[in-house]
Amino acid sequence: MSMGRLIVVAIVALVAAAMGGSRRPRWWLALNWVGTAALLGAAMWILGGGAEWEWRSAFAVGGERLHLRLDRVGGWFLVLVAVIGGAGAAYARGYWPDRERPASAGRGRAWWSALVLCMALVLLCANGLHFLMAWEAFALSAFFLITLERERREVRMAGWLYLAASHAGTLALFAFFCLLAARTGSWDLGPMRDRPGLAPLFWVALFGFGVKAGVFPLHVWLPSAHANAPSHVSAIMSGVAIKMGLYGVVRFGGWLPVPAGAGWVLLAAGATSAVLGSAFALAQNDLKRLLAYCSVENMGIMLIGVGTGLLGAGSGDAAWGRVAMAGALLHVWNHGLFKSLLFFGAGSVAHATGTREMSRLGGLWRSMPWTAGLFAFGSMAIAALPPLNGFVSEWMVYLGLLDAAAGHARDAAVIVPATMALGLAGALALAASVKASAVVFLGAARTRVAAGAHECGWWMRLPMLGLAGACVCIALAPLMVWPLIQRSLGTWNIAWRGDGTPVPLAALGAAQCALVAVVAAGGFLLWFRARANGLRRAGTWDCGYSAPTARMQYTGGSFSALAVGWFAWVLRPDRRRRWPKGPFPRHASRVERIPEAVLERVIGPVGDVVMGASAWVRRRQQGVLPDYILYLVLGLVAVGLLVALGGVA
Amino acid sequence: MNPALEFVVRLVVWLLLAPLLPGIINRVKAWVAGRRGPPVLQLYYDLARLWRKGVVVSTLASPGFIAGPAVAWVAILGAALLLPLGPLGASPSFRGDVILLVYLLALARFCTAWAAMETGSAFEGMGAAREVSYAVLAEAAIITAVLTLSLQSGSVSLCAMLAPAAGPGAALLAVGLFTVLLAENCRVPFDDPNTHLELTMIHEVMVLDHSGPPLAAVLHGAAMKLLLFSVLLVQAVLPVGKLPAPAAAGVLAAGVLAVGVAIGLVESLLARYAFRRVPLLLTTGFLLCVFALLISWDGGGA
Repeated sequence: MSMGRLIVVAIVALVAAAMGGSRRPRWWLALNWVGTAALLGAAMWILGGGAEWEWRSAFAVGGERLHLRLDRVGGWFLVLVAVIGGAGAAYARGYWPDRERPASAGRGRAWWSALVLCMALVLLCANGLHFLMAWEAFALSAFFLITLERERREVRMAGWLYLAASHAGTLALFAFFCLLAARTGSWDLGPMRDRPGLAPLFWVALFGFGVKAGVFPLHVWLPSAHANAPSHVSAIMSGVAIKMGLYGVVRFGGWLPVPAGAGWVLLAAGATSAVLGSAFALAQNDLKRLLAYCSVENMGIMLIGVGTGLLGAGSGDAAWGRVAMAGALLHVWNHGLFKSLLFFGAGSVAHATGTREMSRLGGLWRSMPWTAGLFAFGSMAIAALPPLNGFVSEWMVYLGLLDAAAGHARDAAVIVPATMALGLAGALALAASVKASAVVFLGAARTRVAAGAHECGWWMRLPMLGLAGACVCIALAPLMVWPLIQRSLGTWNIAWRGDGTPVPLAALGAAQCALVAVVAAGGFLLWFRARANGLRRAGTWDCGYSAPTARMQYTGGSFSALAVGWFAWVLRPDRRRRWPKGPFPRHASRVERIPEAVLERVIGPVGDVVMGASAWVRRRQQGVLPDYILYLVLGLVAVGLLVALGGVA
Repeated sequence: MNPALEFVVRLVVWLLLAPLLPGIINRVKAWVAGRRGPPVLQLYYDLARLWRKGVVVSTLASPGFIAGPAVAWVAILGAALLLPLGPLGASPSFRGDVILLVYLLALARFCTAWAAMETGSAFEGMGAAREVSYAVLAEAAIITAVLTLSLQSGSVSLCAMLAPAAGPGAALLAVGLFTVLLAENCRVPFDDPNTHLELTMIHEVMVLDHSGPPLAAVLHGAAMKLLLFSVLLVQAVLPVGKLPAPAAAGVLAAGVLAVGVAIGLVESLLARYAFRRVPLLLTTGFLLCVFALLISWDGGGA
């Protein structure tokens, strides 16, 4: 089937799914799968070496002819949209079914297909005007998905915050595309590297796409939106939607001439996001908020890779830039896969227990062995531990950075600190992932809801297994993915076209396979030896303490207290204590909350000032005629002064 | 030498010689204190005894409780096999293997902390929390040391990075790496490997509930990790890779012995630090590595 037909099938199927999906769940699932399978086929065809696809309509939409194009950069991201769009649809069938959520399930299905379709269109549009339309529709359908459970106040708050932040970014994108169209005289998008006058526009685009990508400190909307959305929505938001922001940075970093400092700014922003994102993640006690901050961290890792890629492209298309950029691209896939897996896992925990509060959970592995195992797998992958896929991409980013440092590259002054930040973030992310998986799934159940948990159904389990399988494939055979990355990179920067593998991926893949084999052998040996010697169950020894209770376990808060103390300067924990008083104390409590520091300590106060000023202005607007005459006179005088001074100058 | 044979020799060295180092350290400590001390081969006897013993597992623990020590042991062994051993170059050497080494150690840490959290014990949770928190600073120092070595040697694979001497910043790097060695292996002044019932320990408290063969894997893994850091330190600082084979082997052995004696002396002469001051000490180690980095930035790459 030709490329155009695949795309038409995808669009028609997804439109049909969005229109009719609210009443017919089975048809919706089938249509959704047809659509995502067609998208996946188109994207893989093009990444597998097929010709790039371009189409212009004869008719005009909004005064411009439609111009769709699928190249290998867009195709790379389209794969992720299709995979998570398909897996999440299956998950939603088990997680958000009509019988449990009669009010919102149908709505959720319709908006899901709309979101997948809009994200695909963002990747396809090669006309600035239609890109903006698709971008806005994508932001809106995500808003309706986040607020599916809109009867809860915190969900509405999270939704509004997301919408406001998203539009702040869209405003910047409006400015970007309008300025671009004004300077080039056309809304058409494409490579424009030969026009150095366009370089400053990159900063505007970086802000606009950075908000969507959740780069620190533009991430303020991200934690509450990801935590309060239904989990399949969190999965696609965190796994795919924020990657659209990165797509924008990659796309226009490749098409536009980039300003001299762009690589430095990206590396600095990436390093900040990586370190602070993982510090915030470690401090959270809400399972989904923890995962959300982890996305900020991983976005930082990808930005470090992209920034290094830009620096490499700027210093004579150095090979180290190519390696780091390849790492960033692979991390887009990897993070999309295991973050969605983790959000699916968190969703099945929330589904089984009704809470996301980690200090109320514990010991869930016994009742939810599948979820526990898959969540642990995802945690290890996201902590970039070998032999899993997160390590492969992070290793490539490291390799690019180290190569640049070892070669005493011109930009080593920013590359070396970024490498150190990456190491720091890696160790913090490991602590956060131990916390997330161990506090929730291990030990004893801390509350009754945790003790009464149940395993999720097959509709929820199979998507998780599928995603884990994809992770394993990338982890054990990274060399298979390399040609696809290579083609995508060659489209991004023509100088990096070529068949050679500048990365020893074969050696790494062999090392990972060997590690899996030896781990399996060692595990079985130890297990058999323990069984042969006699394996007995007894209570936890705990230094001989005779009556341990579940509440004595280390909680998530105490687990991270040490590192949170080091980062108190930015985390600003909100602590309220009531000490016990007197010989028979009645009350004693200690409440600790980690606020979203940027939102509550920076944007909140600034917003208060703006609101205060607006209220003051409103008091001047009382409909009194003399006042308005005074304003007019003052305005005229001001204009007159301006003209007079301008004339002198 | 035939690469396969060389690989086997290195495997044997790591597996068989690792438990010797804690014995040497204990000997030094006993000698300073004027005691007779345990035999040098005590850890071998312990391992043999534990391998034959039965296992008691907490009722709360999942199968991950047995898998944790197994994965951690394999990860440490894998990391060790990436290191060249003086005249025996690492056969699976490739560009970027140094990052694999760092992350294999992280894998070991994840599994140890995971197994500790399995038991639901407050003590073990405390140890796991401390381990992963202090590792943040230690990892920053290790990455800085890696950067220093790659700036110095202009290479990103362990064999080439560790072959030459560390240049003018060698002394700073040695002290910085020694600090990390003490922290990562839970030695005084960060931790006290002799205590078993204290609130202030890190590694020992995480393995309180292990017994039998899994405990043997934990202890052997800890010994391998100690040897790994000693070998890394010696090769990072001395130009072992540039010497003829017999001299390289001799220098490496003498260097590791010297590190063991130094650890023993530190443990005899210093008390454990208060926990509040541990991050300060680790930060000092990190800063020493940063200074070594700055020196090699200026002078290296020739």
